[in-house]
Amino acid sequence: MSAGPLPTLAEAGRKIAAGELSPVALTEAALARAEALQPKLDAFIEITGERARAAARRAEREIAGGRRRGPLHGIPYSLKDIYDAAGLRTTAHSRLLLDNIATADAATTARLEAAGMILVGKLATHEFATGGPAFDLPFPPARNPWNTAHFTGGSSSGSGAAVAAGIVSLAMGSDTGGSIRLPAAYCGTVGLKPTYGRVSRRGVAPLCYSLDTTGPLTWTVEDCALAMQELAGHDPLDPGSADLPVPDYRAALRDGIKGLRIGYCRAFNRDGDVGTEQMAALDQAAQLLAKLGAEVAEVALPPNAQFQACARTISHSESFAIHAADLQKRPELYARVTRERLMLGAFVTARQYVQAQRLRRILTRKVDALFETCDVLLTAVIPGPAPVLEETDDGPWRRQQPLASVFNVTGHPAMAQPCGFAANGLPLSAQLVGRAFDEATVLRVGRAYEQEAGWTGKRPTLATLGS
Amino acid sequence: MDEHEFTAALRRAGLTIPEERREIMRDAVTRFQELLKVLDDPLAYEDEPAALPRYDAGAKR
Repeated sequence: MSAGPLPTLAEAGRKIAAGELSPVALTEAALARAEALQPKLDAFIEITGERARAAARRAEREIAGGRRRGPLHGIPYSLKDIYDAAGLRTTAHSRLLLDNIATADAATTARLEAAGMILVGKLATHEFATGGPAFDLPFPPARNPWNTAHFTGGSSSGSGAAVAAGIVSLAMGSDTGGSIRLPAAYCGTVGLKPTYGRVSRRGVAPLCYSLDTTGPLTWTVEDCALAMQELAGHDPLDPGSADLPVPDYRAALRDGIKGLRIGYCRAFNRDGDVGTEQMAALDQAAQLLAKLGAEVAEVALPPNAQFQACARTISHSESFAIHAADLQKRPELYARVTRERLMLGAFVTARQYVQAQRLRRILTRKVDALFETCDVLLTAVIPGPAPVLEETDDGPWRRQQPLASVFNVTGHPAMAQPCGFAANGLPLSAQLVGRAFDEATVLRVGRAYEQEAGWTGKRPTLATLGS
Repeated sequence: MDEHEFTAALRRAGLTIPEERREIMRDAVTRFQELLKVLDDPLAYEDEPAALPRYDAGAKR
């Protein structure tokens, strides 16, 4: 194994199947890269070397014995530290859970373990998947591999950093208001928020029951499809889980996009103060999709203010309900930014919560209506490249209205993927959105774009990482 | 949000805020409530909430 970024899931799977790559060597490479980059990136809360080595040896024996479980067998992955893995600590990056040892795997962890994947560590997050980057916690915030002075995005901050730095090719994140897609966007990776109910949330620390989703961050769309094949499916023990068939995501990637109808929500960019570089990158993405044979037309989303009123009312109310007792009894254990943002939920009235849920249904219907004439929507997910970490908004009220939480409100699947670079070298990102439970078409469009645009060929270099 | 209302809401919720963060938090709450004014727009009787209880966990959608 070279000391460079780990191969993609697809490439590693092919090589392992052909006997050209050893799971033990691949795992050693992931662990070596994790250890070497940790002082620069702070991507991990815990690197699970011993456990990973044992799992890699087991995988190698199984594969050598003709018992290969599938395309992900023997490949390393990591978990945002809100996912349970039996026997390991789940801290949620918080002082409150420093001694919280998981007794069982999260449903998604169990699926990846059953697929033969190898857990190499638990990743940094924003505390309890909310708040923001904080320097008053037991673990430092993760750093952006493209430029360590810059923000990774959050809350799946370590997941974005670890995939972008090529430590692992799959990291699990969670997304309540953009927490998979924002670190994916700022770190130049792919990040898919599946449809609400598509992937189980069981065993993942909750932030907001009716908005939380779990999903993958990967380097390529093809890898995202491979991961989703293992992750998607009904979980009767998750009350939000949907019992729907799971299609062959990888097969859909081969279909091309000729004739697909793509609605470009260009006017929505104004709602999110999208900058000129990001706007130009989205325009070019729309043009490229048209060149590939898609029919691209501008469409209009409802005003972002309506989505934000819904998202913030619901998320602040539910997260306050979860954390109220600790905020009353031991508020000093939270980071200041987490504590203050959680406390905002105390000021939401019952009427406002119900009205937000009523408006949520109306907005979902309006977005559903767009899919009568479109197969996929194209929108911004970030206003521009990642800001400087120390200048990140840390007040109780976020100054900028996010673009990502629109599709947490409506539940539709939404994927962030690279669509260029800003003049300062940091990634820009596009968001593709599909019909409920139609992740396959989102992945299909994303893969066609990815292959033609070629952004995945550019990686953060070790020089950028300061070594 | 005025000072009395802010204090009462905090007391009702059982929360305390350090004195030096009080005005910052009150300003945040005021901005939050400003955003939520859109929720005052009238809705039709038939516009039911999205998060209605489901007693069919796992049922096909």
